[in-house]
Amino acid sequence: MLKLSAQEQLLPGDTLQQKWEFAQRAGYHAIELRGRADFALRGRLPELRQALRDGVVMPTVCVEMLHFFGAFDADLRADAIAQMKSQLSVIGELGGLGAMSPASYGMFSRRLPPFEPPRSEAEDRQVLLDGLRQLGEHAAAEGVTFYLEPLNRYEDHMVNRLDQAIDLIREVGLDSVRVGADTYHMNIEEDDPIAALHAAAPYIGHVQVSESNRFQPGTGHIDWPAVLGVLEADGYPHYLALESRLRGEPAEAVASVPAFLRRMSTTGQAGA
Amino acid sequence: MTDLRDAAIRVLIGNARGLSTVPASRLYPHQWSWDSAFIALGLRHLSPHRAQLELEALLGAQWADGRIPHIVFDPATPADAYFPGPDFWQPHRRHDRVATSGIIQPPVHALAAWETFLADPAHARRRSFLDRLYPRLQAWHRYLLNDRDLGGGGLAATVHPWESGMDNSPAWDAPLARITPVPADAYRRRDLDHAGADQRPTDDDYGRYVRLAADYRDRGYADDAAAFGFAIEDPLTNALLAVAEHAMAAIAKEVDADPQPHLERAAAVTDALTTRLWDPQAGIFLARDLVGSDTIGHHTVAGLAPLAVPGLPVADRLVATLRSDRFGLGRVAMVPSYDLTAAEYSGTRYWRGPSWFNTSWIIWRGLREHSHLRDADRLRDSMLDTVATAGFREYVDPLSGRGLGADDFSWTAALTLDLLAEQSPEGSRC
Repeated sequence: MLKLSAQEQLLPGDTLQQKWEFAQRAGYHAIELRGRADFALRGRLPELRQALRDGVVMPTVCVEMLHFFGAFDADLRADAIAQMKSQLSVIGELGGLGAMSPASYGMFSRRLPPFEPPRSEAEDRQVLLDGLRQLGEHAAAEGVTFYLEPLNRYEDHMVNRLDQAIDLIREVGLDSVRVGADTYHMNIEEDDPIAALHAAAPYIGHVQVSESNRFQPGTGHIDWPAVLGVLEADGYPHYLALESRLRGEPAEAVASVPAFLRRMSTTGQAGA
Repeated sequence: MTDLRDAAIRVLIGNARGLSTVPASRLYPHQWSWDSAFIALGLRHLSPHRAQLELEALLGAQWADGRIPHIVFDPATPADAYFPGPDFWQPHRRHDRVATSGIIQPPVHALAAWETFLADPAHARRRSFLDRLYPRLQAWHRYLLNDRDLGGGGLAATVHPWESGMDNSPAWDAPLARITPVPADAYRRRDLDHAGADQRPTDDDYGRYVRLAADYRDRGYADDAAAFGFAIEDPLTNALLAVAEHAMAAIAKEVDADPQPHLERAAAVTDALTTRLWDPQAGIFLARDLVGSDTIGHHTVAGLAPLAVPGLPVADRLVATLRSDRFGLGRVAMVPSYDLTAAEYSGTRYWRGPSWFNTSWIIWRGLREHSHLRDADRLRDSMLDTVATAGFREYVDPLSGRGLGADDFSWTAALTLDLLAEQSPEGSRC
């Protein structure tokens, strides 16, 4: 069964309860939270607990910060790890599944000047392995999962493809660290996104959906029947979270996605 | 049946290599012509887009004379991973774009293109899928009906057992016996790395296959009727050609071309089949040996394949043969490749008895075409039961249903998807 969630900032409404009303009407099954800096998610705990009591389903959180656990700067790295640990704890308290972060975002691209990063590949790897170990151990203690999201080459210089994430995850050796696949980045980086999803299937913990153009599914050229078909065939059990920009009137755009993906799914059902 | 569908998708995507799909990851590590057509027929239920690419990748390797080569070699696969590989075929004399073999396989492609179009007409139209493929498919059929009409009777000849798709069929024994084998120590078979020798063609036969291919290559792949040591009018190839011309008529309408010439060719091939290859006593079509100038008396599944041809005048006789002890419809797991009652029958040796998914699927289409719906449904159910038990094997023992040959075989998975889609109340979605 296809389970869909939408990131909270995409949904109309002033409160999580109002957003949830809209999401359910549109055919979503959950809301993906966004975790800002300075322990903002932890600061929202009273709001989140009330939303949980009101029936809002919030299984995952996606980080929304400007520094990450792969930062060049040691202090920023340490803060990012503390932030992510806190987000993992919050999602654990909510009974959710996990928290997602890339290695970095907007810090460096080998495709843009000055092309050579200030840190060697070997040092990058050590930093990432160290961060993933800390986050994986914390996630395990909280009963949730940390999702490492590969980004495209213009947004991150370290982890661009699913197989690169899996290589790190294998070395860390913790079941509490999995891959967070995003169809937009995959469209840029993977030779064959469908075959890549299949090859990575045992390691995929979370999936975000977005078009080839970063707008909502249905506006670009991603082969959705094959994406959905192979995820289902491989028994992917979790949510597909909408993380995209919205083309057209925002509420209509976000509401169009479940119906579109249902139409593209091989079973013809997006789940109840 | 959801589990079966999911497993079939895993096989197909697991065997994906860039634009196309290999028949089996180790035994057949390149793109094969009729495999890709059957693969597209199933892949269209998962992704019409990928099914279109599968056929486009194959047709992109078409030769200037119109032939679709039976193998398109994957440059990412080592040249010695399969024998005979690109170094053997040396196709660059005639065609310098992509490494291919120089022989052909049965023409399922127009049918696959049409059915792939039907899976998502709007998407196919946006990509001009049929507009681009139609002239190539026309050139392919022109090659078959002109260059390959070696007997002059309006049928396409196959000049190598591999071209028939049924490599070691007992029907080829006598024509092959005239060929001097290349000694087994002159090359290295790679098929035996992946399957038991008792399930594969013998070394002597393999040496003859190599001789025929090398001779054709050394003549620059010229289709000169007098030069061939092996030339056959095969009912399977020509039945599929007739079916394909019917598909071409439908394609022609879609691309604003005239369907009439295709319908006329379909009728002419059907007529030539019944005139030249039908044996009314045996109730089956026979292959014609153009070198020995006679029909070949072996009863194989190829002789039943014309059942898939719309309007075939002897369809009911074929169904009676199918139900007889020779082919055991209703009592076998799937349609055997060879007469169960014949002395040469073997339930395990490649095309000398085992049941294959693609030929059984052709028979299933034929039963439906001629309104034997109960037989068709029973055959489909039995095929699905067989694959559910044996897995996506290359072929199975007709009587026990035991799986044989390669594992995770692409066309077995693809045609399973097609059978499941036909079973589903939603139609083409699997």
